[in-house]
Amino acid sequence: MFKKIIAESMTKSPWIYHVNTGSCNGCDIELVACLTPRYDVERYGFKLAGTPRHADIVVVSGPITSQSKDRLLRTLEQVPNPHCVVTIGSCPQSGNVFKGSYSVEAPLEKFCEVDVAIAGCTPKPEAIIEGLYKAAQILKKKREAM
Amino acid sequence: MPDILARLVEILLVALHVLIFPGLLFAAVGGLLLAGIDRKVLARMQRRIGPPIVQPFYDFFKLMGKETIIPAAARPGIYKAAPVIGLVSLSLMMLFFPIFGHKAAFGGVADLIVILYLLTIPAVALIIGGSASGSPFAGVGISREMVVMLGYELPLVMVLLTVAKKVGGGSLVFSLQSISEWQLESGCLLFHWSMIPAALAFLLIIPAEVGTQPFDVAEAETEICEGPLIEYSGAPLAIFKLNTAVKMFVMTALFQVLFLGGINLGEYWLLGGALLFVISAVLTILCMTFIHAFTARLKIEHLFKFYWTVVAGLALVSLVLVWFGL
Repeated sequence: MFKKIIAESMTKSPWIYHVNTGSCNGCDIELVACLTPRYDVERYGFKLAGTPRHADIVVVSGPITSQSKDRLLRTLEQVPNPHCVVTIGSCPQSGNVFKGSYSVEAPLEKFCEVDVAIAGCTPKPEAIIEGLYKAAQILKKKREAM
Repeated sequence: MPDILARLVEILLVALHVLIFPGLLFAAVGGLLLAGIDRKVLARMQRRIGPPIVQPFYDFFKLMGKETIIPAAARPGIYKAAPVIGLVSLSLMMLFFPIFGHKAAFGGVADLIVILYLLTIPAVALIIGGSASGSPFAGVGISREMVVMLGYELPLVMVLLTVAKKVGGGSLVFSLQSISEWQLESGCLLFHWSMIPAALAFLLIIPAEVGTQPFDVAEAETEICEGPLIEYSGAPLAIFKLNTAVKMFVMTALFQVLFLGGINLGEYWLLGGALLFVISAVLTILCMTFIHAFTARLKIEHLFKFYWTVVAGLALVSLVLVWFGL
């Protein structure tokens, strides 16, 4: 019974940890917009966590600059299982307009498993909320597989 | 033979008190619901829809299902034991409260002094757990937690002394049962005018003890990443979050016992428990949610100054008035 409750709770209280890897701040602002009274993702239980140890969903924005790559991977290693990785915007997916730059390591898939990728430059808050919701469902599946 | 049976029943009854009512289960469910109400009302005050009232239960069960990472720099034993120590002392405290006519499960002559010690244990557990995790952020957090403790402990002792003196008359009475019986005869302490500053002081101590918004310097999540809790994950974190919720319930219940103990429901102990919870919810909204909604975090030195001047001053006014027999 407890296993069922725990799996159900996984979808109801995903805590977000946000990592900016050289983003232009556009996606970050849209993520913050999701937390404001207008969109209020807290009604689904989403909360911004202060440390990666408390996080369930790691949100990555920005084109993964060479400087931030190692730091991002170290952060991801600190997140307890089960956890999801969500990318916001086109940058972490493809490199966007920075593609081919000497200082950008763009697709995040090269370094770790990405569960949900929200495309757009920048994606609308509605799209971000949908992506986060999908990530929460994946979280439940990961917990059940544990 | 009947002797043994009677003894067995007695032990079972104590176990029931410790684990279910008014101990662990009642305190945990009540505390988590209070935390949910707090979050919901806060959201409504910010014109948000807010999470459902049962949200803290989801958070608790989710954290229970997460992996527990023990950092390499941590002391594993103390690191895992600290949250449990805090929870045990908090749920023990519920056993000393005479809940509206329900006799306290563990009564004694010096309840108030025991409670004073039990109240410090959760904060000490947080300090021990934080320092055992070996993180520099936790180091900053625990040093702040210690200063906060120093800050509210002085006015708290003064408030408790005031109550003891008022009830005892010539001497000091530290038994919660006698305090509640005294209030049955001569009215709630809240309605004695000389006690009103002390009641106000106690209401201001509650948010610091629980660690909500203007007084959450120790766990400031935006500047020192939740301080002592920074390295915690999984079940120990869940229990720390539960501790905070139970602390809300215990502190508001203590206020009711000290200042509103004069309501007697006699045999209906279940109704007494419900009434306790309802008044706790009102107090939570009044002294935690409202203040949270319109204040930003204080600096540690401002918090300390506030508690040692304004709050301690309020408590002192009451203490002096009561000492002169008013």
